[in-house]
Amino acid sequence: MNLSATRHQAPDEATALELFHLREWTDGLPVVIPTEERVEAMLAGVELDPDIILGEIGPGQATVEKVAINAVMAGCRPEHLPVVLAAVRAVTDPEFDIDNMQSTTHGMGPVIIVNGPARDVCGPIASGWGALGPGHRANASIGRALRLCLMNIGGARPGHGDMAALGQPGKFTCCLAEDEEGSPFPPQHTSFGYDADQSAVTLVGVDAPHSVMMQTNDDDPEAHERILRVVAGAIAIPGANNTQIGNGPVIVVLNPVHAGVLASAGLTREDVIERLVKLAVTPNSTMRGWATKRAFRDEDAYLPALRGPEDLVLIVAGGGGMYSAVFSGGLAGSTHPVHAPIHFDFSCELPGFPPA
Amino acid sequence: MRDGAIFAKAGLPAVAIVTEAFVELAAFTAQAVGMPAVPRYVLPHPCSGTGDENLARVAREAAPGIIALLEGRVEGRKP
Repeated sequence: MNLSATRHQAPDEATALELFHLREWTDGLPVVIPTEERVEAMLAGVELDPDIILGEIGPGQATVEKVAINAVMAGCRPEHLPVVLAAVRAVTDPEFDIDNMQSTTHGMGPVIIVNGPARDVCGPIASGWGALGPGHRANASIGRALRLCLMNIGGARPGHGDMAALGQPGKFTCCLAEDEEGSPFPPQHTSFGYDADQSAVTLVGVDAPHSVMMQTNDDDPEAHERILRVVAGAIAIPGANNTQIGNGPVIVVLNPVHAGVLASAGLTREDVIERLVKLAVTPNSTMRGWATKRAFRDEDAYLPALRGPEDLVLIVAGGGGMYSAVFSGGLAGSTHPVHAPIHFDFSCELPGFPPA
Repeated sequence: MRDGAIFAKAGLPAVAIVTEAFVELAAFTAQAVGMPAVPRYVLPHPCSGTGDENLARVAREAAPGIIALLEGRVEGRKP
């Protein structure tokens, strides 16, 4: 295989790791040293020339080889790579405005949502209990691989290429699958025109997730309305960019119980989104005390946190129960949710890596 | 910075105005868009939220330097 990356020498892995830290090639955590053999093994599962350019991130061209190197560093297995490649393709979509996201002072970053058979074949990518937390290798490694690409290809270094004033832990890694089996709605990626048996990533640039608690009760005929109001309230919190500036796509992650209550009330995914867009508002009278960047002419009117349904990506994930989540948006509306198909064809055993 | 580079590429006089905290990002971005020499003028950080009186003072002090850059009387970045 013809790899073009510059080779560096070190007497052993420990010394090599220190070199990676010294040169700021890591996210601050140890990485797997991307030896030539490991990068070749990573690429064995995808039939792509290493020098294919997926897109540009800031000053850097994201080639298949560079992405594979960062995937090795992040701890990915070869079967994860198709998801990482799709995620990189998606972030380089101009609609995502990655350069603006890299340089904003807002602590936002991309969230990778995986739909379709790739959830299992390229994973398993968790969608259930703790899907956004630690303990899931594919979720952790795939999200981290994208972040390392943003740093090592896109130059996002704190205080230089990445101007997040504070940042947030989700910028280390943030990847989950939708719980399609536990969802009463069609898979999220079908909203973008994919067939359910196709695989795709959806990327949304957002802030950290905000927990939304709502204890439902099967005897409560208004449970679905309560869920909608509480989720909408979490979208329109005082400190969210959506409230202060009034735009930017958000992600709503409904746990299967909350989603089931809404579906049992006859609501489709589109209905839920439409209701949330209408409910995620703040009275002007309240806004006067909260914000300075928006105009409030009519005291009796409401300011919306979302521009319309296109500003809301709704998925079902997490353990069933009381907790859903909202990721706030940002970038003054210049970023939009993007998606890309995941291409994989693991017809034979992948050489160079021990079995999972 | 990207706006400044777009104007400069179009042959229009342009100065990117950045605050001190963003000097390195500005250089990085200018490099990334292939216009490393886009003129830039550096203001104190932070500027936003420092009150109308201070902003007026900063603007008064900065204006001559920015105009000089626009007129090409000063080369490159004005610290």
